Amino acid sequence: MKIKLTSVFVDDQEKALRFYRDVLGFAKKADFSQGPYRWLTVASPEEPEGTELQLALNNNPAAKTYQEAIFQQNQPAANFITDNIKCDYERIKSLGAVFTMPPTDVTGATITMLNDTCGNLIQLTRLTRW
Amino acid sequence: MTDLHQYTPGHAFGAQIRKDGEEKWTLILVRQLRHSPEKVWQALTDPAQLREWAPFDADGSLGAAGNKVKLTTVGAPALHVTETKVTRADAPEVLEYNWGDHSMRWELEASGDGTRLTLWTNIGRSFIAMGAAGWHIAFDVLDRLLSGNPMGRFVGPEARKFGGFQRLIGEYAKQFAIETTNQPPDADRK
Repeated sequence: MKIKLTSVFVDDQEKALRFYRDVLGFAKKADFSQGPYRWLTVASPEEPEGTELQLALNNNPAAKTYQEAIFQQNQPAANFITDNIKCDYERIKSLGAVFTMPPTDVTGATITMLNDTCGNLIQLTRLTRW
Repeated sequence: MTDLHQYTPGHAFGAQIRKDGEEKWTLILVRQLRHSPEKVWQALTDPAQLREWAPFDADGSLGAAGNKVKLTTVGAPALHVTETKVTRADAPEVLEYNWGDHSMRWELEASGDGTRLTLWTNIGRSFIAMGAAGWHIAFDVLDRLLSGNPMGRFVGPEARKFGGFQRLIGEYAKQFAIETTNQPPDADRK
């Protein structure tokens, strides 16, 4: 058994692609549609065969309630690991992303949080002790 | 049963697109089938026959207005079920229902020895060519099913990588004069 895929709910898949690909810098991996269904995933260019992130359209009322609630609580819907958080922060910020928390040192890590424009907060983490 | 290895789809034909709004496009597909409208109607509405050619499974008949049916997309990496309601079923001429947020309108017209089948369905612009190619092959599968020579339906990763499908996507994109903003699926996979 392997963990090959994880997903975030997004309110619009085109908009999500603009954020996760054009702003965060991931690469589109799979994109196909059959009727109302669209399977869209991205992967890190540093790990093209690594875990894929599915950008899943959130059209489920229960999932929307959950998504909104954790957003209100400032809880990230996903957490990505980076080796150079300052550099990623500057790069992503220069592309227009809205950060809700600048890079901040916490025990064992530096973290920063931003809005993915699709209903989620995303955390970027640099682990200093693991 | 023939399979995809012995099947080569013909060239793109019988498809048009229509812009209905800022983001709204309709794909219109016409296919002449060598079977009666009654027989084609059964294949469009009966769950057992839909399972042989359609890109979805239906848990009930689509053949009566008011029927509520769950449609499950097949060949997708995750279970995707949408509830549909049949809004019009004038056998064997007009059938209307939704597939998720896509509207589906089928018209069956007796023509020559068979049926002129027309499908109107709304679709996102970047997937029009993929949709036209998918339905093109689905209609080939349907035609063979009705002729008593089923080849099994065309779904899933194997089907998406199928060369004939990729060629058709390119042909329809050219015909519609649109760029396929989406790359061919799985193109960057090894």
